[in-house]
Amino acid sequence: MAAVKINELHKSDLPWILEYDESKCIQCGKCTAVCSFNAIKPAVEIRKKSNSITEKNKTERVLVIKQNISLDNYCRGCGMCANVCPNGAIRLIRNKDDKYSVAYRANKADSFKKGGRSNLNTEGRTLDKIKIGRISQMTDPSLDAQRHTFELRTPFGRVLKADKLNFDVKDGKIVETTQLPPNRWIYPIIFGDMSIGAVSWRMWEAMAIATAYLNEVMGIPIRMCTGEGGIPTKLLKSRYVKYMILQIASGHFGWNRIIKAMPDMTEDPAGILIKIGQGAKPGDGGLLLASKVARYVQEIRGVPRADLLSPPTHQGLYSIEESVQKMFLSMNAAFKFKVPVAIKVAASVTSVPVYNNLLRDPYNIVGGFFLDGLAAGTGAAHEISLNHTGHPITSKLRDCYLTAVKQGRQGEIPLFAGGGLGQTGSFAADAFKLICLGANGVFTGRMLLEIAGCVGSDTGKCNACNTGLCPAGIAAQNDNLVKRLDVDKVAQNLVNYILATDIELKKLMAPIGCSSLPIGRSDALITVDKHISTRLDIQYAC
Amino acid sequence: MTICKIKTLKNNNRMSTQELLQTIYKKIDEGQSEFEIEACGQHDIGGAVKAKSDDKTLLFKITNPGQRVGAMAMDGVKIVVEGSAPADVGWLNSGAEIVVKGDAGDTAAHCAAGGKVFIGGRVGTRSGALMKHDPRFEPPQFWVLKNTGSFSFEFMGGGIAVICGYDCDNLTSVLGNRSCVGMVGGVVYVRGNVEGLANCVEKLPLDKLDKDFLKSGMPEFLQEIEKTELEEELLDFSKWSKILPLPKELKEKKQPVKDFIKNEWFKEGLFGDLVEDDGKVYGLAETGDARLRKPEWDKDLCVACDLCLKNCPQNAIKKDLTKYISESEKCIGCGICAAVCPRQAWKMKNC
Repeated sequence: MAAVKINELHKSDLPWILEYDESKCIQCGKCTAVCSFNAIKPAVEIRKKSNSITEKNKTERVLVIKQNISLDNYCRGCGMCANVCPNGAIRLIRNKDDKYSVAYRANKADSFKKGGRSNLNTEGRTLDKIKIGRISQMTDPSLDAQRHTFELRTPFGRVLKADKLNFDVKDGKIVETTQLPPNRWIYPIIFGDMSIGAVSWRMWEAMAIATAYLNEVMGIPIRMCTGEGGIPTKLLKSRYVKYMILQIASGHFGWNRIIKAMPDMTEDPAGILIKIGQGAKPGDGGLLLASKVARYVQEIRGVPRADLLSPPTHQGLYSIEESVQKMFLSMNAAFKFKVPVAIKVAASVTSVPVYNNLLRDPYNIVGGFFLDGLAAGTGAAHEISLNHTGHPITSKLRDCYLTAVKQGRQGEIPLFAGGGLGQTGSFAADAFKLICLGANGVFTGRMLLEIAGCVGSDTGKCNACNTGLCPAGIAAQNDNLVKRLDVDKVAQNLVNYILATDIELKKLMAPIGCSSLPIGRSDALITVDKHISTRLDIQYAC
Repeated sequence: MTICKIKTLKNNNRMSTQELLQTIYKKIDEGQSEFEIEACGQHDIGGAVKAKSDDKTLLFKITNPGQRVGAMAMDGVKIVVEGSAPADVGWLNSGAEIVVKGDAGDTAAHCAAGGKVFIGGRVGTRSGALMKHDPRFEPPQFWVLKNTGSFSFEFMGGGIAVICGYDCDNLTSVLGNRSCVGMVGGVVYVRGNVEGLANCVEKLPLDKLDKDFLKSGMPEFLQEIEKTELEEELLDFSKWSKILPLPKELKEKKQPVKDFIKNEWFKEGLFGDLVEDDGKVYGLAETGDARLRKPEWDKDLCVACDLCLKNCPQNAIKKDLTKYISESEKCIGCGICAAVCPRQAWKMKNC
């Protein structure tokens, strides 16, 4: 037997340790068959047969399940093996003394990459320290959440003040003198921008189906942002494109097909979202590792199988003014100034000046400001970016809103907030609180993944979206893993979750006596934290 | 006994509601059963009182009342308002017959659970809300000559409302907007246009029983509000419909998403021209092409010990004279064959 050396990787270095109960195992082989990371294997152990000194050399060979001790094929704790084991013979224990990330860097001379979200956010979340404290009882009529009718729609697109509207009276009728900036009334939740490639084709299709269904069957005008990884031409030419916000990021992937499809499009898209940055890894461009660049991804994006790194910024943009000129103007022009064009940036210390600058846009072509906070997830990122860069969403959203309020310009460029919503299990409450703090709406990707069956967690479980080996088939690009995902079921669950969220939003609107969306109604909020109270300018309560 | 006439305004002094009601109580105790009241906005007239003797009807003729005429009114009471009345006519009416010859304000017949409320004009918002029907008594009736305001019949639990839509041809909705929200019981008969109804109710044509009910009730209603000449016009059933709460199963009109996919979505799937996908959903630990990994056998390394064959949990390995074959339709790719092989003749490859 080979000697064990101290400078090799050991089981105790790995983030998850396999706990295997041989007495329960029937050696059916299912655990090893399902492991997408090839992290466990059947193995033969040589055991001493007896403790008798006269039979000292008698050994037997025993079949067991072991984990691979490898920097590449290591256990991410997804738990598929435990799910499939008929006897509960196998489970994974988190290794609190894990040295994997040190070993990875020490051996590979490369920064560690992962998917999912930061696993460092262990401190309490601001949103959880805020409650809806203004309950309307005798001060104004409270509403019945289940039975009254509510208006949850929110404007998406540039909103002009009354005195800026280009109206005239002609023959006793109001007429537009020049074309007004496009504006759409949409549901205040946007399916967050996850590209084809970042998620599997089945996951992407399930999201698109859920969007179409919610609009056409349930009358909920929800919108889905496509992400930037190309869009099937079929979808572009269908009526469903009107529910889609097309994204353009720094990689400009897939825009070739979008432009080619334009003459045949029968409907305008819901909007355009210019992605400048994302909350999970601000300052970084998109990252799709070669393992996920499947054949159809190559085709739709127009690239070979290689690590796809989008530049950290749009090349050719050197200032806010220039970005307004180039990106906003061109994207508006692409759809004849009939489609709202918004921008998404990572929340940052500098978000307010950017928002302020956009508010002064003299052409009225800025249709929305999307702020993405640091608790957001991503398909792949350098761990260093994921864990150590970014800005929480709540105070930055509030800053942007209040800067507009000070100028009497709130609502002119709708604010949308995202990044880690639902992290502690209360998505509707998070959305509602951000709306009260000034958001016109929210966007989420993580909730969609969780609804679809993501097994990952904020504390380091799985988070292997970057590998293409997603055991749930959500972020996978391996055919046999993708096919684990049941499109019908995921679409149905997404729909159900939104219907449940719709009820829950109303359950929060009703007690504060709002039958329409309480954008900026921070008087409805209280916090038991003095610092949060001061920073967000909401009432302190104890 | 003669009619008791009460003028509530004397020398520019207005009787308070309390004074008026206490005067009425006193007279009732003295056996008085007919009142003519020239009111001046006093509230709650005709409510929660009963004639001293059970065989007598307590009758109120009122002009210019305040709110809540006939609120909590009882069986054996009849109230007639000449002209209009403000909000809450017949609120919680439990058996009286209340007639308002003109319009009534908001929340007319709100929570009424018995008796009849007849309105000779329009009623305001939230009228008929929370009407109920206790099955041991006759259902409440609420008749309106013209139209209702918005949010009427909210949370209605029982009883019969008849909204005749007279002189309302110019209205887009005789029931205003968002009426019948949360309605779970009773029926609203309505003549004319209806829009903006809650989605928990359905609008249906009248059947014979409905028509019989309207035919039998209409003459009394029109007589009380002194509009008998309208009978023929209002009993032309061409513009009538009825609103009923949807049965629970229809209320949740959740057509399954899979039906939407089947009927509306792209036939070969959104990615049909980009990927090969038969739509099959794989379980965990599949066989055949759906495996993650498969074993490959190298005859040069094999020593024919049969350990692979004996240990394969799926009995997928066959020995065929000189070679071992793993049958892909049985194999799940667990790798046990490779693990037990003393010579590494089986190697696992990615599928």
